[in-house]
Amino acid sequence: MSNTSRRDFLIRSTTLAGGAFLSIGLPPSLTGSEAQAAIGATPAYTPSIWFTITPDGVTTMHIVKAEMGQHIGTALAQVIAEELEVPWDKVRLDMPLESAENFGIYGLAYTVNSGSVTTEFDRVARAGALGRVALIEAGCKMLGAKLADCQASQGRVHDKASGRSVGYGEILQKVKLDKKFSYPDDFRKVKLKDRSQYKVIGKSVPALDIPGKTNGQAKYGMDVFLPGMAYGALAIPRSRYGAKVLSVDDSEAKKIPGYLKAVKIDDSMGKCTGWVVALAESFPAAMKAAKALKITSDPGPYGKLSLQDIMEEFSEKSKHPEESAAWVLEGDVDAALPAADKQLEAEYTSDMICHSFMEPINCVVQHASDDSWHVHIGTQGASFLRMTLTAYLSKILNKKAEDVKVYVHQYLVGGGFGGKQDYDESLAAAYCVKELGRPVKLITTREAYFSTAFPRTPTLHRMKAGIKDGGLSAMNHDIVCGWMGPRFAVGKQFNNGTDWLQLDSVDGKKQDIDQWSIGGSDHWYHVPNHRVQAWNSDRTTWAVQASALRTVSNSYNMFVVESFMDEIAHAAGRDPVEFRLSVLNGKGGNRGIPNTGYPAGTPSDYYMDQLWISLPWPSPGSWPGYESGTVGGALRLANCLRVAAGKAGWGVKRLPPNTAMGVALSSAEERQSPTWVAGVAEVTVDPATGRYKINKLTIAMDMGIAVNPDNVRAQIMGSALWGASQVMYERLTYKNGAIEQTNFHEYTPIRQVDVPAFDIELIESGRHPVGVGEPASTVVAPAVANAIFNAVGARVRHMPITPQAVLEAMKNRKA
Amino acid sequence: MLNLSINGQSRLTDSPPDTPLLWVLREELRLTGTRYGCGLGLCGSCTVHINGQAVRSCQLKVGDVGAAAITTIEGLDPANAHPVQKAWIEIQVPKCGYCQSGQIMQAAALLSQNPSPTEAQIVEGMNGNLCRCATYPRIVGAVKRAAQMMKENQNP
Repeated sequence: MSNTSRRDFLIRSTTLAGGAFLSIGLPPSLTGSEAQAAIGATPAYTPSIWFTITPDGVTTMHIVKAEMGQHIGTALAQVIAEELEVPWDKVRLDMPLESAENFGIYGLAYTVNSGSVTTEFDRVARAGALGRVALIEAGCKMLGAKLADCQASQGRVHDKASGRSVGYGEILQKVKLDKKFSYPDDFRKVKLKDRSQYKVIGKSVPALDIPGKTNGQAKYGMDVFLPGMAYGALAIPRSRYGAKVLSVDDSEAKKIPGYLKAVKIDDSMGKCTGWVVALAESFPAAMKAAKALKITSDPGPYGKLSLQDIMEEFSEKSKHPEESAAWVLEGDVDAALPAADKQLEAEYTSDMICHSFMEPINCVVQHASDDSWHVHIGTQGASFLRMTLTAYLSKILNKKAEDVKVYVHQYLVGGGFGGKQDYDESLAAAYCVKELGRPVKLITTREAYFSTAFPRTPTLHRMKAGIKDGGLSAMNHDIVCGWMGPRFAVGKQFNNGTDWLQLDSVDGKKQDIDQWSIGGSDHWYHVPNHRVQAWNSDRTTWAVQASALRTVSNSYNMFVVESFMDEIAHAAGRDPVEFRLSVLNGKGGNRGIPNTGYPAGTPSDYYMDQLWISLPWPSPGSWPGYESGTVGGALRLANCLRVAAGKAGWGVKRLPPNTAMGVALSSAEERQSPTWVAGVAEVTVDPATGRYKINKLTIAMDMGIAVNPDNVRAQIMGSALWGASQVMYERLTYKNGAIEQTNFHEYTPIRQVDVPAFDIELIESGRHPVGVGEPASTVVAPAVANAIFNAVGARVRHMPITPQAVLEAMKNRKA
Repeated sequence: MLNLSINGQSRLTDSPPDTPLLWVLREELRLTGTRYGCGLGLCGSCTVHINGQAVRSCQLKVGDVGAAAITTIEGLDPANAHPVQKAWIEIQVPKCGYCQSGQIMQAAALLSQNPSPTEAQIVEGMNGNLCRCATYPRIVGAVKRAAQMMKENQNP
């Protein structure tokens, strides 16, 4: 936690060589001038937090969130521009340097969980509003006007009485602004615009990062060149995790022109196990050399493990409820199930998948002459990368951590999806730099990427339900998988030894439980007797390096919960839409939490507050008028369902043979940070082959406020197609400790030919804006599964759904 | 030393002739708009034009290029004024953007050979280009829009 003096904010103008500037944030002495000096950059203004206005009237927004396709910079800039009253055509973006110094200012540079708009909207709006207040006061003085007569619009302060006005740039040139605002008191007090006055928020302005992406000028980490730089290519490790390199013979590699050396990466931090990097003067030479190396390795503790072993272990674990940890405990499931009129049981499984972003993992690392270390990379977790690399360098250089200076230079991210928050590549590159004494650009080939991917865990689910008087009386959800939380070093390593990724179970056993692997099962349906219990396969976690993948556990849990909800509806003889609406009644906690932020008590309320601990800011829940995204709860989900079902023509549209609709809902990501979404899939199945085609997806989403509606639609389409891809095609297999797929002929994401028609409805309820980049992905798989059942009677309880599985399920269907 | 014609300029390279053109463009000549995605011609991120045809530059050895005219995304129009680029911006196609140079080069070649493609022809023509952000629906829309712009340019 930063000290109190760092919580004071200044609005000040200072004259530099480039002219005056105004910044809201910390005094420039604290904003990383050391960092600038360290990298030998020109002594220009170092961006402070949030934004800078220059006398030419340009406002540059400083975006600490990673730009990876969600156009987050544009969205946050819209919020600031709205309150600051600057003209949109004079808005620019930049990405601040991540460093120990800047960490105390910006907080955690970490872009995950569809959380950026949710967590930043209110704060940056207030920063913009404070800027406007200061400029109006200064402009008013210049105009000799009364404050009550002055207002700001389009980058100018206008005096209503005289009709005169002055531009922000001119104010900065002539007035020395030195107004000090306290944090958080002034931030709390500043008056925000009424939403009816919004001019930029809610407008589909073009994304500021797009023009560079259509003419080749956009810069990703891989596009960095440093003087004297060598290239590194990773040799495919013997197993995914735990291999030990015994020997490296580079006699063949030495024949390759440009080959420099082979480096066995120090894996003493438990990262980069079994890694050998071939270094050369060019990347093609490095790739050739990596292939030519003769490496012998001990495959390690998981060297004989296969996916089948993992699934067998899951099955065995699930037979021991005494070893489980409870996540949801409401009513008495054990009493309610036998008391039901009808009981239902089903087993679901899901395969491993991986992010396989188009930009393979890469980075450029430099050890500067002043002994500082620089990583050039597009990453989702610049702060954790710096912390991890600092710890690693401290270890391998035998230095105190405080004597190791690491700076992370952030670039565009060529697809993240949760998969660019592990930092092995920067550790390996830094180790190569240490061994070679030159900057190194490390690029994983696609094959090296797949061999070292961080997949979503495989899962096993045992579902039980009780139907009484035609309604849902009980539900039990057992989940066995590899928990990702314990593997992420960020918890125990950087939070005073406590692992905030692990929560306590709710069964009084005080067991650790990993919300990232279980979330989504705590759905918003009213079930009087509801239990979710979970088992961790620690071996799986480490063996496959289980990780967070777009919507994290929602991506499998919603497939299971929503498929099973349809099974229950059918067993109860009820329409799946009508049945869901009947249990989306907002009873009890399912109405959501009102305006009080995030009260402690339930496990899933824990996350956001804990994440905020790492920041020098109080939780936004402490702002007056701040509204939790959960407000309305199940009733908002029900509303989405009505809209989607209605638009799709549920129950009324005339459909061709072997064609049906399926429905599914989701409140991804966490229960405490939901985005309400309903999806209807229209699917045609070929009963002869089991092949199926998604004809149309109808999606209704309540995101509160759509900051940029056109982009919200783009995000919904893209994430829905991600869901289609994972249900139709994506599957990693694991054998002898290694991932078997190597490239896009074996791992086959969705392409143009499978794209369905779309009907997307944005429900702008006016509630606090929440993330839109991921949640729609979770409704597609179950909606497709339910449509396949409705079309041909085949219930497939495994994801992905292959044509063979459809045929098999058709054989097993009840007559 | 090989002499390449890239974006209307003569560029020299001393890379071995079996080097994939992709790496010569990206890492040696620093035309980084051409992206590496798979190295096997499976994803289309590295698509450039060779004499106007869309080619996966990871599959073409630099020694086999000869005097052929290479156009990269940087040479299409740096000011984003090519109809495909204009349509891409108007329809707001890119998300992470990594595959988009390849998508745009593929689309530009497609339209130069078939100025009025049907939707099915667009889908077929663009099916080799992967996009993990799944900007696919907007790509189809933007190719149609670019075709329309090109017609308008011809018949003002």
